[in-house]
Amino acid sequence: MPIQLTSQAYCKMVLHAAKYPHCAVNGLLVAEKTKEKKKDSHGEPVLCVDCVPLFHGTLALAPMLEVALTLIDTWCKENSYVIAGYYQANERTKDSRPNQVAEKVAARISENFSDAAIVMLDNSRLTMSCFEPIVLIYDHHENKWKSREVTFDCFEDWSEAQKITSALLEGRSYENLIDFDNHLDDLRNDWTNPVINKSVLDLC
Amino acid sequence: MNTIKKYVFYCIINVRHAHSWKAHDVAMASVVKREKMASVSEMYDVGWEEMRDKLRKWREDNCRNSEQIVDVGEELISEHASKLGDDIWIIYEQVMIAALDCSRDDLALTCLQELRKQFPDSHRVKRLSGMRLEALERYDEANKHYDAILQDDPTNTAARKRKISILKAQGKGTEAIRELNEYLEQFVGDQEAWHELSELYINEHDYGKAAFCLEELMMTNPHNHLYCEQYAEVKYTQGGLENLELSRKYFAQALRLNNRNMRALFGLYMVSTSVRSMSQSVQQTG
Repeated sequence: MPIQLTSQAYCKMVLHAAKYPHCAVNGLLVAEKTKEKKKDSHGEPVLCVDCVPLFHGTLALAPMLEVALTLIDTWCKENSYVIAGYYQANERTKDSRPNQVAEKVAARISENFSDAAIVMLDNSRLTMSCFEPIVLIYDHHENKWKSREVTFDCFEDWSEAQKITSALLEGRSYENLIDFDNHLDDLRNDWTNPVINKSVLDLC
Repeated sequence: MNTIKKYVFYCIINVRHAHSWKAHDVAMASVVKREKMASVSEMYDVGWEEMRDKLRKWREDNCRNSEQIVDVGEELISEHASKLGDDIWIIYEQVMIAALDCSRDDLALTCLQELRKQFPDSHRVKRLSGMRLEALERYDEANKHYDAILQDDPTNTAARKRKISILKAQGKGTEAIRELNEYLEQFVGDQEAWHELSELYINEHDYGKAAFCLEELMMTNPHNHLYCEQYAEVKYTQGGLENLELSRKYFAQALRLNNRNMRALFGLYMVSTSVRSMSQSVQQTG
């Protein structure tokens, strides 16, 4: 099942990358939990409605990642979400392949959600106007992660996503984005980002 | 709670920046746009002294908030240069580096030229020229700059660190590690370098060697809760009962040094749970 991104999910991913231009960043993608498992649901896209920005800087250490996965999993259960994917933007501009960290986290997510995807941000194409989507989507096939062609079908509404992301980048909203690292620095910081979510809704 | 900050190491072209599009595009358009935007002093109702003090604080804390530095610094330089006195030179340096981070080559060049005029033979300014070349991805020329500095002054640590940063920016992790190890054989007390080396090892998933670097840091900074906590995280990631028990000790130590370190608190909980489940399974099979 291919994944699809809503404007909110796409926008927050890009804002996270823009907030820490000199660091690698990563996060989780969440989708709504479907109650019935339809027999013919293969081929229907999984809609990732939101993302949770996790860390910036050193991504390869386990303990905080496990804490984050546990806490976010609990939050998901309370909100009928499920962790459906993982995104990462590498430190170097020209490097956009998933690395060992990405594969390990995605494997962990796949234990609970069989069609987990890896979304990598292509740093070299990050611009203020966001004319084109800058994501690369990887699916797990035969023990390897293979990239899929990204079309506008990978978005719930690309023109809306483009408009909102561009507006928030111009307005420097990324300064107010909270990731899990910020939360660990000060527990009052809310990693669900209600403020940014509201800005996104206002622009819809 | 602050993070461990480093200054001389940071790679310039690692920076992905949305604004880089702005810089390469029609320069006039962005200049016009800037003139129409409210000035920092108007927006925040601050005087030039507060702006200068803010820049000093960011310098002392080694913050990498380059966009803010560019906003405040550019205005300070263009409108209050005469009032700054000798402070202006260090502000030029700070703003120049921040401008490189934001792909503002115009601003970076302006600052660099002022510094070159004032300090024509300075190695410190030459290093800034090298950093600008790095930002433009002209690594070979940048390396030549740094080699020239090192020929003149083989003990110049800043130039050596920039060369290592270039290797890092080019994705040559193992070479960067090798060069940094050589550097540390000579300059054993350089804590920034030990910390950078630990990060390079973590990125290469060589947790054992990363732990060694952090041990060096803990020895020389026994009261720094951040090093204890990072060491504990590395040990946890390494895994295995012995490493987990060490990890638990160091998370506890970090908490003792600073009981508001949330990572240490969470870490202590995670590692205690892991150790318990591990020893239980050993007991069951043993």
